[in-house]
Amino acid sequence: MGQLDFRAITKFFGHHEVIRPTDLSIADGEFTVFVGPSGCGKSTMLRMIAGLEEISSGELLIDGRVVNDTAPVDRGIAMVFQSYALYPHMTVFENIAFPLRVSKLPEAEIRRRVEEAAAILKLTERLSHKPAALSGGQRQRVAIGRAIVREPAVFLFDEPLSNLDAALRAEMRVELTRLHARLGATMVYVTHDQVEAMTMADRIVVLRGGVVEQTGSPLELFHRPANRFVAGFLGNPNMNFLPATATACGPGGVTVDLAAGGSAELPVDGTAQPGEALELGIRPDELKLGQGALRFAVLPDVVEQLGNQSVVHGSLENGQPICAVVTGGFGLKPGQPAEFGFDPGAAHLFREDGTALPRRIDLARLSAA
Amino acid sequence: MAAISSRAAQAATFRLVMWGFTLMTVFPFGLLLLTSLKSKQDLFRGAFVLPDRPHFENYVSAWVDGHFGVYFWNSVIVVIPVVGIGVLLGLLTGFAFAFLSFPFKKTLFVMLTLGMMVPGEAYIIPLYYEMRWLGLLNTYAALILPQIAMSVPFATLFMASAMQQLPRDILEAARIDGAPRGMILRKVILPLMGPAISSLGLFLFIWTWNEFLIPLVLVNDDALRTMPLGMLFFQGRYTVNIPVLTAGAVIVIFPIIIVYLIFQRKFIEGLTAGASK
Repeated sequence: MGQLDFRAITKFFGHHEVIRPTDLSIADGEFTVFVGPSGCGKSTMLRMIAGLEEISSGELLIDGRVVNDTAPVDRGIAMVFQSYALYPHMTVFENIAFPLRVSKLPEAEIRRRVEEAAAILKLTERLSHKPAALSGGQRQRVAIGRAIVREPAVFLFDEPLSNLDAALRAEMRVELTRLHARLGATMVYVTHDQVEAMTMADRIVVLRGGVVEQTGSPLELFHRPANRFVAGFLGNPNMNFLPATATACGPGGVTVDLAAGGSAELPVDGTAQPGEALELGIRPDELKLGQGALRFAVLPDVVEQLGNQSVVHGSLENGQPICAVVTGGFGLKPGQPAEFGFDPGAAHLFREDGTALPRRIDLARLSAA
Repeated sequence: MAAISSRAAQAATFRLVMWGFTLMTVFPFGLLLLTSLKSKQDLFRGAFVLPDRPHFENYVSAWVDGHFGVYFWNSVIVVIPVVGIGVLLGLLTGFAFAFLSFPFKKTLFVMLTLGMMVPGEAYIIPLYYEMRWLGLLNTYAALILPQIAMSVPFATLFMASAMQQLPRDILEAARIDGAPRGMILRKVILPLMGPAISSLGLFLFIWTWNEFLIPLVLVNDDALRTMPLGMLFFQGRYTVNIPVLTAGAVIVIFPIIIVYLIFQRKFIEGLTAGASK
């Protein structure tokens, strides 16, 4: 079991409120990723679950039991740190065995559990080595091994892959996803890397300034962000935001005039008053070269060739910066204008306060596709 | 080209200055060692003249006639418990100040700092009366107990500072693993404190070995005198025999040099611990 419930939890450092009142539930067995920019409070949330930070107000429940005043070891959690936090003077075996020795388990049981964890994490050959003799990826696997042997209900990961290089990070992402599938335990994972969030999570919690901006599946957050912040935070390169004005509102959605020129009806829910200032959001990979219902000229200033794709950084005729990711596009040259376009159904619409007019998109069908 | 030669000139100047300082430090010791191996006649021929043969009998004379054998063992008997207990107490109190919350923590910390600033001369008279009241005058306890007490403030501050340099994550990982405080100190912190313990041990060793005032006031029995005090009385008796006197001085400083050379590497590591990742 590993059900987590936040009930109106807050955290103050002195007079500074770093976590605003937060209600959140994490289901048993779910892989939840807390994501957000630096200082958004994601690590503080994790540390409160771990019992390393006191909760200023509200209640934290693990499997229905209030654990605000429970010692970390009695919460049924295990944590993997960004810095690995291995004991440098102990061998890999002793590092993994440490929590079991603390629990005074019989030696045979300790050996069985450590060897099992080492086999899962491909560390069997390294059990007699000290951490200094291991690579970054192996050290992180030792840290994960130390968490696994405790058989916790909830695993906590605090940016565990941040110290690894890009290739190893991609490899470890897959390994962690496999591990989650194998163990079926609840995992709470903190990262500022949206790729990790998108690829690993069952559910993403996006935080900003100590406030949960949105929670949902990766596809939900990507395709139906609740606000401009979430839309801009997820996706690489970032979403393009183009100033627009509402001209009409009907059953087909909201019709807007783009400041850069052109008009289109966007299939979104909600209403907008004619003349209301809005922002149209379009992801770079939704911009097509010479295609789409709504087209405009782009003057590229940098073209990055990725082999199968081109990333175009440029500006519209009114000077508005824009980024596009197109398949092919090898003929694109800086300083030579090209026509790009998009399908209105792929666009997002945001009010001036940043809230989104929800897109009409069938997420269930998208998930099944 | 000009930049390279300017850099070479800078490096050469730097080396020259460093060699100058090194010679200034080493030269008196060299002269002391040389004098201790001379006969009186050799000495009259000049301070820098080499003896016809090394006169080790000066050391025998200092060790036996000058009672340096007794003083040496007295110093050893005093320094071992002072360093051992000082380091142990420093580990415990340093851990408390580094990681625990308790009432009046800041006040106590300030008091410890003040304790380090008060010179021994300020409390030697009350200490004398206290020791007399306890019946400890002219005992090893009079030499050991006050020096342990004097070492605790520095040991606490030193250890607390060294422990605060340890990666916080490791200690938090141990907490999550369920290790109680004593176990965190023994199994996690202690093995990582090697350089700090060596440095502290060396500091305490040097201070205790060289301590003069406490043995002078609290002990007047020659059988309990430590090396620096023995040196003072030895000087009075052997003023005319400079080679034997310098042999005594070498016996006083020799253990410090040996201990420093043994712990030198860890000592430097300890001093620079936490300076860089």
